[in-house]
Amino acid sequence: MIPRRIAAALASFVAAAATLHAADTLPHVLISRQLSESEHIAVGDVVRLSASADDGAAQQFRVAGVYEPTPDPARLGAVIREVQLHLPDLLTLTREPGMPAGSEFVETINVALVDPADAAAFSRDVQARMPGVSAQPSTGAAESTGPFLVLRRFHLAIAIVTIVASTVFLLALTIMLVDERRAAVGVLRLIGLPIRRVLVQLFIEGVLIACIGSMFGVALSLVSEGLINRFFQWRYDTALVFVRVTPEVAAICVAIAVPLGVSATVVASWALLRRNGLRLARR
Amino acid sequence: MSGANGTIVEAMHISRVFPMPAGPVTAVADVTLKIAPGDHLAIRGPSGCGKSTLLHMLGCVETPSAGTLLFNGRDVSKLSDRQRSLLRLRRIGFVFQRFFLLPMLTAAENIELPQSEADVPKADRRRRTSELLEYVGLAARADHRPSELSGGEMQRVAIARALANRPGLLLADEPTGELDRTTGEQIAALLDRVNADGTALVIVTHDPALAERCTRILSMRDGRIESETTA
Amino acid sequence: MNAMGFAWRSLVRQPARASLGVLGVAAVGALLFDMLLLSEGLVISMRGLLERTGFDLRVTATDSLPGQGPLIPNAVAEAQAIATLPTVRSAIALRFANATILNDRPRGFYTSFQGVAGTAQHPWTILRGRDIGTGAELVINENTATRLQLAPGARLVLRAACTGEEQALPPMPFTVAGVAQFPFDTPNGATLATSLDRLADACGGNESGEADVIMVASQESAGTAAAVADVAKLLPHLRVLSNAEAVNRFERGGFTYFRQISTVLTTVTLSFAVLLITVLLTVSINQRLGEIAALRALGFSRWRVVADVLCESVLIVGGGGLLSLPLGGLLAVGLDTILKRIPGIPAEVHFFVFRPDALQVHLLLLAAAAVIAALYPIRIVARLPIAATLREEVGG
Repeated sequence: MIPRRIAAALASFVAAAATLHAADTLPHVLISRQLSESEHIAVGDVVRLSASADDGAAQQFRVAGVYEPTPDPARLGAVIREVQLHLPDLLTLTREPGMPAGSEFVETINVALVDPADAAAFSRDVQARMPGVSAQPSTGAAESTGPFLVLRRFHLAIAIVTIVASTVFLLALTIMLVDERRAAVGVLRLIGLPIRRVLVQLFIEGVLIACIGSMFGVALSLVSEGLINRFFQWRYDTALVFVRVTPEVAAICVAIAVPLGVSATVVASWALLRRNGLRLARR
Repeated sequence: MSGANGTIVEAMHISRVFPMPAGPVTAVADVTLKIAPGDHLAIRGPSGCGKSTLLHMLGCVETPSAGTLLFNGRDVSKLSDRQRSLLRLRRIGFVFQRFFLLPMLTAAENIELPQSEADVPKADRRRRTSELLEYVGLAARADHRPSELSGGEMQRVAIARALANRPGLLLADEPTGELDRTTGEQIAALLDRVNADGTALVIVTHDPALAERCTRILSMRDGRIESETTA
Repeated sequence: MNAMGFAWRSLVRQPARASLGVLGVAAVGALLFDMLLLSEGLVISMRGLLERTGFDLRVTATDSLPGQGPLIPNAVAEAQAIATLPTVRSAIALRFANATILNDRPRGFYTSFQGVAGTAQHPWTILRGRDIGTGAELVINENTATRLQLAPGARLVLRAACTGEEQALPPMPFTVAGVAQFPFDTPNGATLATSLDRLADACGGNESGEADVIMVASQESAGTAAAVADVAKLLPHLRVLSNAEAVNRFERGGFTYFRQISTVLTTVTLSFAVLLITVLLTVSINQRLGEIAALRALGFSRWRVVADVLCESVLIVGGGGLLSLPLGGLLAVGLDTILKRIPGIPAEVHFFVFRPDALQVHLLLLAAAAVIAALYPIRIVARLPIAATLREEVGG
């Protein structure tokens, strides 16, 4: 990561896309795909970068490659115009005049551990040894970051409202469907079947329908997952994944849907079964 | 209103064929008959002989696959769906085996419904409805819903509904099919009265006693008229 | 009985299912309404907030938003030059930093710290006490006053942090002149403000006259566009951003997520509503086919029975739609409370903002949903074979 003021300066670099291939002693840089497309810069082109907008102390670099930036939710919608340099080149480019070499600083060091499970212990160790330095496992960072927590709650609230609406409709439908069978239920009651027996039958039907419906719902969500991701990846020109139906999510949905479906059937049936069999059988 | 030769309905060699996956089924084959004002006609026959299909064609609910059907002199096959609906609304009354009263409406409202659809003014509707309820003997049950009426009472309301727009022809499909003997006789007597008051009546029935009350009896078998007897 | 009256009686005949249908539409409609409010809510709220500050232009060193780019050198002089333009009413230079108030807490009390120069109105509102003078005075926000139990006249010592780097700046004493409301304060944020000179002193005294942004108020008679043109001409090396352009930039950036999510949820919600109402109506129609065939046999036209179905759909959706408005309002308050917890969101900004055109769109969408949901059941009744249906009903 580079200091903020450097990012501002790098955003105003001069793209002198010379087709001449200068001697290959030029230092190499990588540019983001979006930058390559917007400024029509290809691999092998020579560009000039400067840390300030007035083109002072610009240096030449050769574009060694084009990369796809790591998707960053915080930069959704932004056109990622980035350049990746070797750190010594960046430090040389951005060093203040008069500042001795070696006195620069970086903001972040990314560490890949041999065993990722050691991340928490490693973080604690670093912080203990180097006061003033903050070390955090990257897997926890996303979940503990405020915006993601808030958005999770937001989506949960939306999900709750959707479930409430679905339950209401489900109840309406099950009442109608159970009502269609009122004559048959009435006859069963008249010939002597107890309420419990009829209820068990309806319960089993409800379980079957709820399970099949849940499976269908999961399948539908997987299809729409693909469609939504494709749409937004196209819309925002990003590789970010917007929707992911994990086994955990699917299990939670099934765990909510099946009991709801069964409960709706039982509630609708119970209301019906409380009536006199003769009234049920009469058309 | 009737056709040029005084008939309400004139069917000439009409047939009705239903296309089925296993092959076409001829429900009615080459039937010719006329219905004049005031006729009292029964159509009888075994189950599946085509009598209900014939009734539906006479009532312009079905169109013949072949032949010519004239209603008040007009060729029914040349009428649009809208024109046929208007014909049924103003000229024909239907009484069904299962009554088909609207359960959310009262007896009076069921009778008013076709009149409202025929744009009869409200005052006239109310008056006509009261008359009909008196006619069928249910003036005291005007505000009762079908669920509060017996089978016979429901059928009487259905007859009143069928007569709401003063049709020249009343078609009844097994009107006593869901009723016990005594109630069936009451309905039969009511239908006789309707006919005596000038409405042509065609009844499809299994019931020999009901058929015997009619002046003409058509016997059908396998989609054809086997015989016609006149009382 | 006309089609609407008939449809009403059909629904009332089964009060439980009709009520559930209406409630279901109300819940879905509430969500739909909220998504419509969300689609523009943040932008409208931010626009309103920017306008309420009293300044309609912002001048920065680069295209970065104020506080995210380099400082403007000689900002005080340039603000004074801008203020003399005929199309400009006033201009102030503003600089952002952070500070730690030194108290009995081991790590002190962390706040944001602003410095302002210029004689125009300051971008805050005094609640108690008075505004800053020329001395080492500052105004604090209500959070700071409450948590540190500070009142006008109190003294405090703070250590500023003026760049992203670690610094060891000397602590500086200040006197609290007043308690103020800052428009961009976050709900739990702590904010202090002083003069630009005092802030520069607190930052080591090496960067006098520099600021993150120059805030400009245009003359009402001249308008924003004229002022933008004049300032750009006067200071071509700087970037001038009107409030509208700032809002556009927010829209293209992080705000766009909420617009997109509202679009997706609006689509999903509507599809869901259409599907469920279609199913409700279709099942209801299928249970009444005999009655409908009988009505057709009695002379009801095809269009009449179609109108009955359409009216039923309209009644369910209409009833649910009306109920969805107060429900949606309540839900919006709840969802707004959740979203406002996103770090950095000013307390005055709302995600859900009512606007009349959102209500219009909501009603139009519901009307469209009512019609679309009725299409399939309408097809069933329009194509109903009368005689075959009557035969089937008798046959059982």
